[in-house]
Amino acid sequence: MGWRWFHQWGSPRWFYERAGRWQLVCGWLALTLLITGSFWGLALAPVDYQQGNSYRIIYLHVPVAFLAQALYTAMAVCAVVLFVWKMKLADVAMQSIAVMGFAFTALSLVSGAVWGKPTWGTYWVWDARLTSMLILAFLYLGVIGLRAAIQDPDQAGKACGILVLVGVVNLPIIKYSVEWWNTLHQPASLKLTEKPAMPASMWIPLLINILGYYIAAGYLILGSMRAIVLERERRSAWVRELVSHA
Amino acid sequence: MLEFQFASLTEFFEMAPHGVYVWPIYGLGLLVLSGLTFANARQHRRAVRMIQRNLEREETHEP
Amino acid sequence: MSLERRMFTRELKLIAARPGDILKPIWFLMLVISMVPLALAPDSDLLSEIGSAMIWVATLLALLLNAEHLFQSDFSDGVLEQWLFLDRPLVWLVGLKLITHWLFHVLPLILITPIAGIILSVPTDVLLALLVTLVIATPALTCFSGLGAALTLGSSRSGILGVLVMMPLFVPVVILAAGVLIRAMDGSDTLPLLALLGAFSVVAATFVPIVVSAAIRLNIGGSN
Repeated sequence: MGWRWFHQWGSPRWFYERAGRWQLVCGWLALTLLITGSFWGLALAPVDYQQGNSYRIIYLHVPVAFLAQALYTAMAVCAVVLFVWKMKLADVAMQSIAVMGFAFTALSLVSGAVWGKPTWGTYWVWDARLTSMLILAFLYLGVIGLRAAIQDPDQAGKACGILVLVGVVNLPIIKYSVEWWNTLHQPASLKLTEKPAMPASMWIPLLINILGYYIAAGYLILGSMRAIVLERERRSAWVRELVSHA
Repeated sequence: MLEFQFASLTEFFEMAPHGVYVWPIYGLGLLVLSGLTFANARQHRRAVRMIQRNLEREETHEP
Repeated sequence: MSLERRMFTRELKLIAARPGDILKPIWFLMLVISMVPLALAPDSDLLSEIGSAMIWVATLLALLLNAEHLFQSDFSDGVLEQWLFLDRPLVWLVGLKLITHWLFHVLPLILITPIAGIILSVPTDVLLALLVTLVIATPALTCFSGLGAALTLGSSRSGILGVLVMMPLFVPVVILAAGVLIRAMDGSDTLPLLALLGAFSVVAATFVPIVVSAAIRLNIGGSN
C-alpha cells in the first residue's frame, strides 16, 4: 500500500486526463438517474394527501438543498488539503465548487420558495431553514467575490481557503442561532405537521434523484476543474502538446 | 407500485392544481444543469483557443 | 517610548490629520437614522418598537464604511510589511491594531447611538440594553471586519468587499443582540443572552486575530 494514489492528485496532467473519462461516466450516469428519478417522482409516485401535487417539487428541492450544504463542507475539505499538502488541485476544486455550490443554493432557494406558495400560501417565510439557506448563499457569494477580486491565483486560493475555513467553523453557530431566532419570533405555526412515513414509491425516486444530483454535481465540478486546470497550466509542456494536437 | 398516477397526459401536464408551480421548477432545474454544462464546455474551449493563439504567436515571433 | 505606545500615538496623529475618517461614519449613521421616520412614518409608537433594530442595522452599515481603513492604508504605505520584521509576534500587533481601531473608529459610533435612540423615541431601558449589546458585540464584529480587510489586501480595488464577505458571519451576533433587545422590551432577564454574546465576542477576539495575521502574512508574502 503506497502513497501513489494520493500523490497522483498532485499532477494536473494525470488529473486532466483521468477527469475527462470520469466526467463522461458521471454525466451519463447522472442523466439516467435523474431522468428515472424525476419521471418516477412526477408521474408514478402517488399524490400526497395533504399537499397534493405540489409536493412533487421535493424531488428537485431536497436533493439540491442537501447538495448545497454538502458542497460547502467539500470546499472546507479542499481548503484543508490546500493548506496541509499545498495541493494546487484542491484550490482548483474549491474554485469550481464555489460556483456550483452557489448555483445549487440559489436553485434550492427558488424551488423552496415556489413550493412554499401552495403549501404556506406565500413565497417566502422567514423560516429557519430558508433563512440559513439564504445566508449560505451569501457565504458562497463571498468566496466567489473574493476570488474574483484578487489577481494572483495562488494568493486568491489561499485567501479563499481561509475564508472557507472560517465560514465552516461558523456555519453551525449560524444555523443554531437562526433556529433559536425562529423560535423566538414564531412558535412554529408555519411548520408542516409531522408527516407519516413515506411509502416506498415516494422515497425511492427521492433517493434516486439525490444520488443523481450528487453525481451531476460531480460531473459539473470535474468539467469546470478541467477547464481551470488547462487555463492555469497553459505554460506547461503537456498542455502545449495537447493543444497543438487538438 | 409503478402506476401512472394521472388519467391522461393532459392531466399530467396540468398536474391540477399545482402544475404552475411544479413544471417551472423542473424547467429551471434543467436550465441550471444544462447552463452549467454549457458554461463549462465554453470555458474549456476558450482555454484551448487562448493557448493555441499564444502558441501561434510564439511561432511567428521566434524563427 | 515603547513600540506599543508609538503605534497608539501614530494612530492618534493619523486621526488628527484626517478627522473625516471618524466623522464620516457618524454622519452616515445619523443620516440613515433620520431617514427612517421619513421613509416610514413619524409615529413614535412604531419607531420606539423598531428603533433599536434600526440603530443596530445602521451601526453595521457604518462599520462597513469604517473597515476599509483597517489595514488598507497601512498596507499601501508599507507599515504592514515592517510588522513582519519587528521583534513582536504579528498576532500581538494585529490585536493592538484591532483594539485601536475599536477605540478610535467604533467607540465614537457607539457613543452617538443614545442621540439616535432619543430621536427614534427608543425607551430608556431598551436604549441602555442597546448600548450594552453594542459594547459587547462590536469587538467580535471588529475582528471579523479586520479579517475581511486582511483577506482583501491582495485586491487592488477591494472597496467594501471585505465586509460583504464577512457580513454573513455577523448573523449570530445580530440575532443574539436582537434577542437581548426583545427581552429588554418585555422587561425580562437579559443577562443570560448578554453572557452568551460576551462569550462569542471573547472567543472571536481570541481566535480571529490569529487568522487575520495568517491572512496578512499570506498577502505580504505573496505580493513580492
